[in-house]
Amino acid sequence: MFPKVPDQHKPGKPLVPWGLGVIYVLFASIYIFLAYFLGVGKTTDGVSAPLTLAVCILFGGFMGMLDDWIDLKWRYKAFMPLITALPLMYFVLANPEMRTSISVPLFGTVQFGDAYIFIVVPLIVMVITNTINMLGGLNGLETVGPAIILIGLTVLSSSTFQILMIGPLIIWLILAFFNFQGKIFVGNTGSFAIGLTIASFAVLTDLKSSLLISVIPYVFNSILILSSVFFIRKKANVTFDGKKLVSDHRRSLVTLLTYRRPLTERQVVTIISLIIAVFTAIAVGVEIFSI
Amino acid sequence: MTIKEALSRGLKGTGKLRVSVNHASILTITALLLILFIAFTIRILPMRWEIPSGSLWLNEFDPYYQYSLTSKMVNDGLLSPYSPPWINTQQFYPDGLDMSQSFPSLPMTAAVLYNIISGLGVSIDLMSFCSLMAPLLGTLAVLVMYFVGKDMGGKTVGLLSALILALMPSYIQRSSLGFFDTETVGVLALLLFIFMFMRAIDFNRSFRSMVLYSLGSAAALFYFSAGWGAAYFLIDLIAVYVFVLVLIKRYNQRLLMVYSITFGLGLFATINVPLLSPRYLMSGAILPVAAVFVVLCLAEILRTNITMRTKTILSVAFLAILVGGVVGVAVFGDLTSIAGKFISVVDPFQRSAQPLIESVAEHRISAWGSMYYELGISILFFLVGMYFTVKNPTNRNVFLVLFGLSSLYFAGSMIRLLILLAPAFALLVSNGVLGLLRPFYTLIHESTSQAVSKSKRRLSRVGKEYSVIAILLIFGLLATNFAFSPQTGGEPRVYNMAYSPIAITASSLPIAANEPVPQWRNMVAYMNTNLNQTDVVASWWDYGNWIGYLGNVTTLCDNNTVNATQIENVAYSMMANESQSLKMLKNYDASYILVFVTLQLPISNNQLAGNVRFGGYGDEGKWVWMADISGNAKPRFLSTGYMTSDYQWSNKTDFGYNMTSGVTEWNDMGLNSTLYKLMSNAEKQWADKYGFTMTETASTLEYFTPVYIAGLEVDPTTAAQKYGTLLPLVCLYKIDWEKYNASITTP
Repeated sequence: MFPKVPDQHKPGKPLVPWGLGVIYVLFASIYIFLAYFLGVGKTTDGVSAPLTLAVCILFGGFMGMLDDWIDLKWRYKAFMPLITALPLMYFVLANPEMRTSISVPLFGTVQFGDAYIFIVVPLIVMVITNTINMLGGLNGLETVGPAIILIGLTVLSSSTFQILMIGPLIIWLILAFFNFQGKIFVGNTGSFAIGLTIASFAVLTDLKSSLLISVIPYVFNSILILSSVFFIRKKANVTFDGKKLVSDHRRSLVTLLTYRRPLTERQVVTIISLIIAVFTAIAVGVEIFSI
Repeated sequence: MTIKEALSRGLKGTGKLRVSVNHASILTITALLLILFIAFTIRILPMRWEIPSGSLWLNEFDPYYQYSLTSKMVNDGLLSPYSPPWINTQQFYPDGLDMSQSFPSLPMTAAVLYNIISGLGVSIDLMSFCSLMAPLLGTLAVLVMYFVGKDMGGKTVGLLSALILALMPSYIQRSSLGFFDTETVGVLALLLFIFMFMRAIDFNRSFRSMVLYSLGSAAALFYFSAGWGAAYFLIDLIAVYVFVLVLIKRYNQRLLMVYSITFGLGLFATINVPLLSPRYLMSGAILPVAAVFVVLCLAEILRTNITMRTKTILSVAFLAILVGGVVGVAVFGDLTSIAGKFISVVDPFQRSAQPLIESVAEHRISAWGSMYYELGISILFFLVGMYFTVKNPTNRNVFLVLFGLSSLYFAGSMIRLLILLAPAFALLVSNGVLGLLRPFYTLIHESTSQAVSKSKRRLSRVGKEYSVIAILLIFGLLATNFAFSPQTGGEPRVYNMAYSPIAITASSLPIAANEPVPQWRNMVAYMNTNLNQTDVVASWWDYGNWIGYLGNVTTLCDNNTVNATQIENVAYSMMANESQSLKMLKNYDASYILVFVTLQLPISNNQLAGNVRFGGYGDEGKWVWMADISGNAKPRFLSTGYMTSDYQWSNKTDFGYNMTSGVTEWNDMGLNSTLYKLMSNAEKQWADKYGFTMTETASTLEYFTPVYIAGLEVDPTTAAQKYGTLLPLVCLYKIDWEKYNASITTP
């Protein structure tokens, strides 16, 4: 039932089912709806956090699906997540107990005030979603990394949110497992959905600084890609010689790792995942020890 | 011709007449009927609180004004309020209120319909009938919406936009039971006008139907502008639309004809309304119609086969006429300034200078938060719909884009105008949803899976199931929007909006109690039996209509903010100290004063204990406007001696309101104001009766004696059970004129 695309980094380029992220989207939203109706995080008045999360995931999946289908132009892709920022902005607005500041380790706390709602939240949503979407293309790369970050955030969040997130997380881990083995691809549907999940989850649980630390490898990758596109107008491209990946430039995280140093696909993914895991561990450590 | 032939021909004729019925049309009709059923049912939900009260009353305040017009028309004839002008001295005493200065569409519609159904033998009292008019007209508007949408993008768009309009919270609020106000006919007339005008300029229709539809749209325009002040919006929108059509080279003769018939007849009929009068044609908002007409004439001439030279001369001449006309009107004629309300819509910043307009909650600027709260995540589909509509710029779609953008602007400028956005929003959202669904839908219907060419990945084959999932996702998004919207805590916004009692039955409390909250009903019943029609009761204008029409007494001010000076004076007498207040009220022969206060009961650990305090939903919340409005007239009060150099105020901060925190710490001036003393005394009576201490301090009243306080009989436990810690007190005080007169003669 799923469309099949060739796996570019395998000998013989076998066809692999693609776009399975939609399973995550459907499961996660149904799970969160059910949890909500069973009383998790239910509010009698005010804005509902679970439903806001569900809307964000649904929208992320929807946007990814549009991209998978009609190849959205990058300017649409970059700014479309802003629509999802609306429910989140309204959530922060309606919950005055949410912090409007972000504390950065070794730097102190930055107080944004109203600018947090109108500028920072949309920025978080836009940047996180796109930056997570940018690191991908290898088996497991677009699933394992976000899974690690999401695990970190879930550990730090309150029990209500842990219950809300555990279901989607398990499904995502299963997808990640098959993706890592090269059996499936999640497509942009999955990639955008998980990006919006992470961004909205961090805003809803007030774990902005942990999120910002965890995504540093992603941001680094995005900066590499964007700066090479803007300054030297060249895209990153990794070549596959039949067994290993190798590149002759350093225009993205993947090409940086494989720069004149052939590595297998699995090795690259493992290294990047480890880097993300280290940053996530730092984020968790900072959050735990700062309390 | 034999009989046999005639018979067979006749039979064939009936065969042609027979309505062709197929599956699709049965489905459409069923769906439409369901939508209409939903629309009507949702709108009569507040009846749940009306049934125990025994009669259907009207919501809010303005509907009572419309009701009084209707009642006059039913009793004395349709034109009775207008010739001779009916001055209602029971309102805005002593000058009275000129009831001929009103929009006739709604009361006339209601009066005619009421006469018809009473003629048919249905016995229903007029107020209940008026109360039901709003849901009826709202449902009718949903039906017209279907036809508008059907013309724009087929049956599916029609059905979807009808459904969205039926469920639009801002529209439900203004068309549910009891909301017998101008918007009710306004939206219906707006949709009728759009429907007919769009059909009239449709090239595929015959000349005959063009003329008929133009006449129809002229009638709708008349009905609209004689029914709702927002008609300016539509008139200018159509003028701009026609102008844009000329600009993008879509001019044709049909446009000129339709435009002339519609506006010529429509405006000609409109100026007969006393409120609008021929001045209407000269007002700044109507002039663009004339300007666009000149442009159309020019376009028509340029079409014909004449030399370039003549064309240039003619163009210059027309431009000169246009410019000269505008200058001439500006210099010689008076460009009638449109009422402040309308200017203030276009330029919201002008409003903060006018507390009288700003004090009306529904005139406030809508924050983006309230837009999202109202519209929900369907804003996504609105944007997508806008995209699809712009990409396919047919004549109708050009209109839709202009309509959507302009009404969005106005809705952002004034929260009440969200209702203007409602039809445009419904159309654009359905365009968006269906535009997104269409490719997936087509794919399901393809016999084999289709190859989709992709630039990057070379996607080979896509299964049907995949598009089913896409449809599921869109369904999920729509479901979150309509069924469990996150911004309202999971309850559908529609439900919140529709399932709430009308204002007087809830005693102005923002709650949906299980039973009607009877304090206000008790108060008007008390007035009806114990007070005379000529007794003047001073109160803030919010309650003027209730005590005037339901309590049948004479009032000083109400929602018809026609006499700003009088409202300032009433505000003054509320905020001034007792003797100054009576000095003012003496001019108006007031014998009673009415204040409304809500109390917040203290609850800690499920126990009723602690200090009872002001709740904030009655005059204790509205006094800030009284202070601002009266403070705005400070120069006048200073010159007339009501304020002196040691006794004056200019706004709410002089009574202890803190601008930064928004909290009031009543200062001496505040504690001595008549309003505060009346409210705190009522609170004290209740607190003393049930043994509570109170946050506010109550000092003895000099010239006022309580006559009846509705709500005093409610004990704290009942209040906590029924109204959730809020308690409304409606307090009527009698003014002791003898004591006051004695005090001023013996200084």
